[in-house]
Amino acid sequence: MESSENERLSVREVHANGSRMNASEVEAKLDEGNIQEAESALRDGLSLNFEEARALLGKLEYQRGNVEGALRVFDGIDLHAAIQRLQSSFSEKSPAKKGRTRTESPSSVSQHGANLVLEAIYLKSKSQQKLGKFADAANDCKRILDAVEKIFYQGIPNFQVDNKLQEIVSHAVELLPELWKQGGFYDEAISAYRRALLSQWNLDNDCCSRIQKSFVVFLLYSGVEASPPSLAVQIDGSYVPKNNLEEAILLLMILIRKFCAGKIKWDPSIMEHLTFALSVCSQTSILAKQFEDLMPGVYHRIDRWSSLALCHCAAGQNVSALNLLRKSLHKHERPDDLTLLLLAAKICSEDPYLASEGVGHAQRAVSNAHGSNEHLKGVALRMLGLCLGKQAKAASSDFERSRLQSKALESLEEATRFEKNNSDLIFELAVQYAEQRNLTAALRSARHFFNETGGSIVKAWILLALILSAQQRFAEAEVVTDAALEQIVRWEQGPLLKLKAKLKISQLKPMDAIETYRYLLALVQAQKKSFGSFRVSSKVEDDKVNEFDIWHGLANLYASLSHWKDAEICLQKARELKQYSAAILRTEEC
Amino acid sequence: MSDDENTTTSTVTFTPNTSEKIQSALQSLTTIVNPTLSVTSSTTPLSILNECQIYAQIAALLRSPNSGAGDNNLCRWLYDTFQSNVADLQLTILRFLPIIAGVYLSRVAERKPQAGFEAVLLALYAHETTTRAGEPVTVTIPDMSHPSVYHESKTTVNKNNATDRNIAVLSPLLEPHGTVRSTRRARIVGVAFELFYSKISQMSIAPKIDFCKFCKIWAGQNGDMYKYFEDEDDEEDEEESNEVKIEKDKESEEIKRGRVPMPWELLQPVMRILGHCLLGPNNKNTKLFEAASEACRCLFARAMHDVNPNAILPMRSLLRLSKNIDEFDATEPPKTDVISL
Repeated sequence: MESSENERLSVREVHANGSRMNASEVEAKLDEGNIQEAESALRDGLSLNFEEARALLGKLEYQRGNVEGALRVFDGIDLHAAIQRLQSSFSEKSPAKKGRTRTESPSSVSQHGANLVLEAIYLKSKSQQKLGKFADAANDCKRILDAVEKIFYQGIPNFQVDNKLQEIVSHAVELLPELWKQGGFYDEAISAYRRALLSQWNLDNDCCSRIQKSFVVFLLYSGVEASPPSLAVQIDGSYVPKNNLEEAILLLMILIRKFCAGKIKWDPSIMEHLTFALSVCSQTSILAKQFEDLMPGVYHRIDRWSSLALCHCAAGQNVSALNLLRKSLHKHERPDDLTLLLLAAKICSEDPYLASEGVGHAQRAVSNAHGSNEHLKGVALRMLGLCLGKQAKAASSDFERSRLQSKALESLEEATRFEKNNSDLIFELAVQYAEQRNLTAALRSARHFFNETGGSIVKAWILLALILSAQQRFAEAEVVTDAALEQIVRWEQGPLLKLKAKLKISQLKPMDAIETYRYLLALVQAQKKSFGSFRVSSKVEDDKVNEFDIWHGLANLYASLSHWKDAEICLQKARELKQYSAAILRTEEC
Repeated sequence: MSDDENTTTSTVTFTPNTSEKIQSALQSLTTIVNPTLSVTSSTTPLSILNECQIYAQIAALLRSPNSGAGDNNLCRWLYDTFQSNVADLQLTILRFLPIIAGVYLSRVAERKPQAGFEAVLLALYAHETTTRAGEPVTVTIPDMSHPSVYHESKTTVNKNNATDRNIAVLSPLLEPHGTVRSTRRARIVGVAFELFYSKISQMSIAPKIDFCKFCKIWAGQNGDMYKYFEDEDDEEDEEESNEVKIEKDKESEEIKRGRVPMPWELLQPVMRILGHCLLGPNNKNTKLFEAASEACRCLFARAMHDVNPNAILPMRSLLRLSKNIDEFDATEPPKTDVISL
């Protein structure tokens, strides 16, 4: 009761019909449990009828936080009958009137009655909500909407309705889905959201947007799959979302549009929800478009650039991502931002000609990995190692190459001190050892990576086989390859088959190699046929073996066996795929 | 209200066959765990199966050292019960997925035989494969140049301007799998999680909390440094007592051991489930919300350590959203000093 003590201080007076009463007088009666006395005090003091007095009492109780009391008061009003009276009084006059009537027309009198009844039901519903009676609350709230819908069956026109009524209706429209949701009645909540958004309630922009956003949150995170909106609301040619994600993304885009049109205030959570939704569908390039379309000033320019860079990079558009990162890392912008530095270094580490730039970013990241970012030091060192390793690939001299390679190894080894158990790092270390022909260390790391990831990563198998074959242990390499083939679905076997063919050649088993190549060709051809269908996931795309390489390999193989005719056919096929190729010319020479 | 709820969950019209199957599932479970509860007027075999106490007992068994072996009784029970094709029983089994997948994935590196877990996971995968009937799950990204049901002005239909709509593959076509090939492990577990997500609104809190705890372990990364993510005064609370620090270090060692590869096919459903735990209707449950927030921080840290933009973007958004939950209630009528009609 302490809280209501505080509330009471703020409630001073009760007004009606030009008279006023001190609220504490009435409240004292209520506190004694005398609803009737309180009611008659109001009726006498403010010349009210029974319903008006009750409604006012309920409001008083509600405002001072006594929701149980409010509920008791509202229970005394026959709201059902009141609604029916209301409907009939409206249906008598609504069709005739067209133009605006004077303020004190009969319609405004009945609107006053409507306000009274509807507000009472609304507060009753709110009281029930606060008491956790969500189903009852929702049903009452729904009665408001049903009544209003019957009265204004053609939508709510602006001029016929006074502000008070509109306010109650808007509130009720917004409250209903919330009540169903809180009560765990999710299907009802979805219908209520749709009813709110697809019927004509004459909601203002803020209210409508709040409902839209709340529906978005429900669609994205409730885990309840909403069926598509009913056919009744669909218009020819219009886009109808067919699942939760589509509907949520659509609503978010509409919200962004409303903001751009100046209709609503900016709400950063809209963009966060959209980021989550579009990232989950891997559609970050569409997300980038949304960031680009936002007017300047919504985000700080560097925040916008960095979000854009993340979007582009996630969509594989590394060049545009890097350009944005360079702008953001400019010395007048945010040269020491660790996320930006790491991302830039990572992009650079994938290209020998960008690697030296990447080294710069990574070094900067290393020296800035302190304070709350200290945990990223290992990552920065790892990026440094990767960039150095890549830079070595484009080195102009042997000396330069080996210098870079040792530095790369040094960085990666140091990174392991910080990033223990980071399996990717172990893999990268294995590759770097292999590059330097330290095959024993390479094999050890490759095995470590393999065990850590439980053979789940194709490149682990390939690396193991490659290192073994570099050690001239062809038979063992083949065992690894065969075991790998068993663990990999057919669509992704390409690179392994190619490796297997080469291992066969190294073991001087050309006929086996030819057989493997044939198998590989069949696979590539099947992949080509299904290209474009959903069977080919992006992952397979990466692993696709170049058909040209296969024909070329086969040609070499036949040539080595002096099967000139077959070799010629294979070369022909290869030439169809790539007209001018030094490799083919060389084979032809032989 | 509570009465309402009881009736909605338990008045599923049981065909004799269904209730028999539930009864027999309970029967066979009694040989594995010992439910102290018996069927009374207020309980049904199904409600017993879904008791917290049973959940805890099964959960403990699933975490025991040799739980996933091929001859494990519990795995057999989980498998058989799921295969009964009774929707309620399948839901019961699905609640254990976070623990099964969690224990399974973290044990992969130990090379323990886990045929029992794999059988259960494959059953879930096969169920989802059948449900989808050879179709991938796709999303058509709306294009704002087309009018939609939610557009305000419905007049500007430009039919000539048929721009291509973007179709995104949310989950590619499922191939049938009879065994868990190592390179398909993440996909199989991922699809099981997709199934879990599709039923998540019917799930109790406990499996969700377990899920969040495993996220932390899979991430292999402590996320405490993001507790004050993007806060203006993030230097606060930096100083920790030594004891807390030692405790934390110990814990973080534990976390790092369980780190698993997180390819997109696993990460994507994990993020969706996490989104639900953080921002779904039952995030009012503080235990769940805290577990989910921590999982979110750990996975964000992992994304940062992997420098993986595909994960950084959504995890950063979840992190921001979870920190700024809007408690403003616009449906509350304003308080006034003067109350009038």
